[in-house]
Amino acid sequence: MTGITEYLILGAILFALGLVGFLSRRNLIVIFLSTELMFQGVVINAVAYARLHHHLQGQAFALFLLAIAAVEAGLALGMIVMLYKRKGTLDAEAWSVMRG
Amino acid sequence: MDIETLKLCGIVILLAPLAGAILAGALGSVLRGRTHWMAILGVGAAFAASIVIFIQVHGAHGEDVVASIPLYDWIANGTPSVFRFELLIDPLTSLMLLTVTGIALLVVIYSVGYMREHGKPERGYERFFAYLSLFVFAMCVLVLGGNFLLLYMGWEAVGLCSYLLIGFYYQRPAAAAAAKKAFLVNRVGDFGFGLAILLIYLTFGTLEYQPVFELVRQGITGDGFAVSQGTITAIALLLLCGACGKSAQLPLHVWLPDAMEGPSPVSALIHAATMVTAGVYMMARCGAIFSSSVTAMTVVAGIGAATALFAATIALVQTDMKRILAYSTISQLGYMVLGVGVYAADSAIFHLFTHAFFKALLFLGAGSVMHAMGGIIDLRRFGGLRRVLPWTFVTFVVGSLALAGFPMFSGFFSKDEIIHHALIAHPLLGAIGLLTALLTAFYTFRMVFLAFAGEERIPDGVHPHESGVWMLAPLCVLSIGAIGAGYLGIEATGRGLHEFLKPVFATTFVTNMPAYDVHAGHGFWAEYGLMAFSGGLAIIGILAAYVIYVQQQWFAGLTKTTFPQIYWTLWNKWHVDEAYDAVLVKPMRKGGKVCVGLDDYLIDGLLWFITAIPRGLGYLLRTMQSGLMQGYALSMVAGMAIIIVLVFWS
Amino acid sequence: MTPVAPYLLQLLFALGGAGLYLLLPKSDRSRALPGAVLGLLALVGLVVVLAARVVVPDATSFYFYLFASIAVVAAVRVVTHPRPIYSALYFVLVVLAVAALLVLQGAEFLAIALVIIYAGAILVTYLFVIMLAQQGGSPLYDRNAREPFLAVLAGFVLMAAIAGHAGALPQTAVTPVIEAQSMIETSANTTPPGHTAEVGLMIMTQYVVVLEIAGVLLLVSMIGAIALSRKKVPVPERGRSQPLGQIGREVEPY
Repeated sequence: MTGITEYLILGAILFALGLVGFLSRRNLIVIFLSTELMFQGVVINAVAYARLHHHLQGQAFALFLLAIAAVEAGLALGMIVMLYKRKGTLDAEAWSVMRG
Repeated sequence: MDIETLKLCGIVILLAPLAGAILAGALGSVLRGRTHWMAILGVGAAFAASIVIFIQVHGAHGEDVVASIPLYDWIANGTPSVFRFELLIDPLTSLMLLTVTGIALLVVIYSVGYMREHGKPERGYERFFAYLSLFVFAMCVLVLGGNFLLLYMGWEAVGLCSYLLIGFYYQRPAAAAAAKKAFLVNRVGDFGFGLAILLIYLTFGTLEYQPVFELVRQGITGDGFAVSQGTITAIALLLLCGACGKSAQLPLHVWLPDAMEGPSPVSALIHAATMVTAGVYMMARCGAIFSSSVTAMTVVAGIGAATALFAATIALVQTDMKRILAYSTISQLGYMVLGVGVYAADSAIFHLFTHAFFKALLFLGAGSVMHAMGGIIDLRRFGGLRRVLPWTFVTFVVGSLALAGFPMFSGFFSKDEIIHHALIAHPLLGAIGLLTALLTAFYTFRMVFLAFAGEERIPDGVHPHESGVWMLAPLCVLSIGAIGAGYLGIEATGRGLHEFLKPVFATTFVTNMPAYDVHAGHGFWAEYGLMAFSGGLAIIGILAAYVIYVQQQWFAGLTKTTFPQIYWTLWNKWHVDEAYDAVLVKPMRKGGKVCVGLDDYLIDGLLWFITAIPRGLGYLLRTMQSGLMQGYALSMVAGMAIIIVLVFWS
Repeated sequence: MTPVAPYLLQLLFALGGAGLYLLLPKSDRSRALPGAVLGLLALVGLVVVLAARVVVPDATSFYFYLFASIAVVAAVRVVTHPRPIYSALYFVLVVLAVAALLVLQGAEFLAIALVIIYAGAILVTYLFVIMLAQQGGSPLYDRNAREPFLAVLAGFVLMAAIAGHAGALPQTAVTPVIEAQSMIETSANTTPPGHTAEVGLMIMTQYVVVLEIAGVLLLVSMIGAIALSRKKVPVPERGRSQPLGQIGREVEPY
C-alpha cells in the first residue's frame, strides 16, 4: 500500500534531480530539459495530493502546469536557437561576460 | 644725543638697504647692468646715516651716550611688550655700523667691476646686488637691535644671506654643497643661541638689553630672586655656542673655508669683515653676562686661542689663495674671541675694526687676482704676478703687512693689545697668541711670495690684465684704512677708540675683571717690550717666508718629504671634516634609512593592511557576481534550502 | 504504516547524492561505474526501506516501485548523460514512467495528455533543436559538469529537507484505482462518470477562466516564439550554394 509518503519522496527525488541537472550542466538544452524534469516531479506531487484529499483540483493544477510547460518550452527553445545563432555555441558560460 | 635724529637715522639705515634690495630684485630685469646703483644708493644712504649717528654719539657725554629707541610693538605682550622693535644706539653700535656700512659700500663698488666678464655683467648680476643689499639690511638689524629678539632675527637673516650668496653660482655642486654646509653648521650654533635667549627670558622675564644687563649686574632674576651662578654660566656658554657657529670658532669652523665657493666680494664682506664678526659683537654686547662668570670667560679664552693656533697651522700648507685667507680669518677671529675672554673686549672690537679693513682688502685683492687669472686661484698654477698686476700687488702687500702685524700697520696695534691682555690673564694663552702671530706672518707672506714674487708663471689661455677702476678704487681706500686704522686705537692719545668705547665696557668687563697681577702688565718695559717682541716675530716670519719661498726654493718642499704625516694632516685640515662625516653625517644618514624603512614597511604596511580588508572583501564578493546564470541559480537554491531547513526543522 | 525515520532517508539520499556526483560527466576520468553502483545501492535501499513498512504487501505497490525506479534511473541518465540527444531520449522514458504512475493513481486523462504533449510535442521540438544546434563531436561543455559538488549538495539538502519531512507525515493510504472508489465522492445514487469526463466537467465549470488564460498564454507564446526567431535571411545568389552548416549563419539576429 503506497501512501502519500512514497509519492512525495518520489516527487522530491525527481525535483532534486532536475535541480542538480539545472545547476551543473553547461549545455543550454540540457538545462531546460532539467527544468522539464522538475515539472515532472511537481506533477507527481500534485496528483498525489489530489488523490489524498479525494478531489480533482491537483489534477487540474497538473493539467494547466502542462500547458505552461509547453509555453515555456516553446519560448525557451526559440531563445536557445537565437542564442546559438549569436555565439555559435550552446555553452551557458559563453554568456557569462558582464559588460559595462 | 638727539633722539629724533637718531631715530630717523636708524630707520634710514634699516630701510635704505632693504629698499635697495627690493628694488634691485624687482627692477633687475629692467635695469640689467645698472642694477648696482640700487645697491650703491641703498648702502650709501645707510653709510651716510651711520656717519650722522657717529657724530651724534661722539658728541655725547656721560649717561647720554646710550640711547634706547623703541620703534613699534610687534606682538603686544604686556607693557613694555617683549616682542618689540627697538634700537639701541651707543658707541659700540655706532662703530659697528660704520664698519659694516663702510666696508659694504666699498665691496658693492668693487662688485660692479668684479661681477663682469669683459665688461658685460655676469649672469645673475641683478640677483647679486639684491642679495648684497639684503645682507646689509640684515647685518644692520643685528647691530642696531635693542633686544635679543632683533639680535636673533638679524643673526638668522645674515645666515640666510650668507647661504644665498655662497650658493650664488648655484649650478656648481660644490657651491650648493658649501652653502648648505654653512647654513647647517650655523644652525647648530643657532640652536645654542636660541636656547640661551629662552633661558634669558625665563630667568629675567625680558629680552631688552639694558634691563637684562642691569639684572645680571645685580644678580637677581626678573622676579627678584637671586640668580644662580650656574644659570649665568649656562647662558654664557650657550651664547658662546652661537658665537662659535657664526664666528667660525672650534668646533664649528668647518663652514668658513668651504664658503669660499662664493664670489670674492662676498667673501670679503661677509666672511671677513662683517658677518663672522657678529659673534664677537654679540659677546661684547653681552659683556655683563659673560664677565659675570669666570668659567665662561676661561672657556671663551681657551676656545679663542685654540682656534687661532689651529687655523694658523692649517693655513701653512694650503695652496688655494682664498682658503689661506679663510683660515687666516678663522685665526684672527680666534684672536678676537681670545680678547673677549681675557676681559679685553675693547681690544677685541679694535681688532675687529682693523681686521675688517685689511681682511676685506686681502679678499678683494685675491678677487682681483682671480679675475685676472680667469677664475684660477690655485697658487700652484700661477706666480710672479707683480708686474702684470701692479696695483693689486701693492695693495695686497699692504694688507698682508697689516695682517702679519708688521710694526706701524694697523694689525700690529690691535693684535698686540690682545696678546698683552692675554699674557696678563693666562700666560699660556698669551704664548699661544705669540706663536700664532709668528705663523700668521709666515703663511701670509708665503702666499704673497708664491703669488707675486719670482718669475712670471701664467696658466695657458689666460690673458691677465690689471683690474678696472671700479675694482681698484676700493682697494686703495681699504689700504689707507689698513695702514691708518691702527692709529685710532692708540691709548696714549686719550682720544682714540678705547676712550670712545669706554662707556660701553665700563660697567661690564672692566669692573668684573679679576684682580690679576696688574703691575706685571703695566710697566714701560712690559708694554713696549711686548710691542717690540711681537713686531720682531712678524719680521722674522716675513723673512723666513722670503728665504724659503723666494731665495732657496728647494726648501719649500722639504716639509712635505721629511715630515709627510704632519704635512698631510695639516693639508687635510686635521681631518675635522672627515671626523664629522664619520661621527655625525653617516649615522644620521643611516638613521634616515632606518626611518625610510620604517615608513615603507611599518606605516605603508599598516596602510596596506587596512586597505587589504575592503580588497579582500571585494575579492570574496566578486566571486558571487560570476555572470553565470547557474551560479545565481545555485545561490537561490541554497537560500531556499536553508529556509526550508530552518522552517521545517524548527 | 509507520513513519519513516528521517535520518535513514537522509543517509540513503546522501548515498544517492554521492553516486550522482560521481555520475555527473567529467572529461578526464570515467567514474561512472562506482557512481552507478552507489546510485543503485541507494535506490534499492530506498525501496527496501519504504517497502519494509508495509505489513501486507500487494501488487500495486510493486508496480509503483517498478515505475518509480524506472523514472528515477531515467531521470539520473537525463541529468548525467554527456550527449544531449540521449538526455532527451531518457527524458521520454521519464515521461512514460510518470504517465504509468499517474495511471496507477487513477488520473488516466492526465497520463495520456502527458504522453501526447510532453513526449509527443515538446520532446520532439527539443530533438529538432538539438539536431539543429548540434556541434560536431563532443564539445567541452557537454563533457564537463559545472561545480558538481555544490549542485549535488544543494539538491541533496533540499531533497532531504522535503523528503525527511514527508517521512513524518501522518500516514493515510493512497488507494490504487484498481480497488478504489472513484476520486469524487458522490452520492450512492448516481454512477460516477468516467475519469476523463470528470476532469472535463471540472475544467469547464470550475476552472474555465484558467482555461481561457491558458489559451491566451499559448497564443502569446506562439507569437513570442515567432518574434524571437524572426530573421532576415539574405537571398543567396543563384548558383552559389552554401554549405549545410552555414545556412542562416550570417543573419542579423533580431
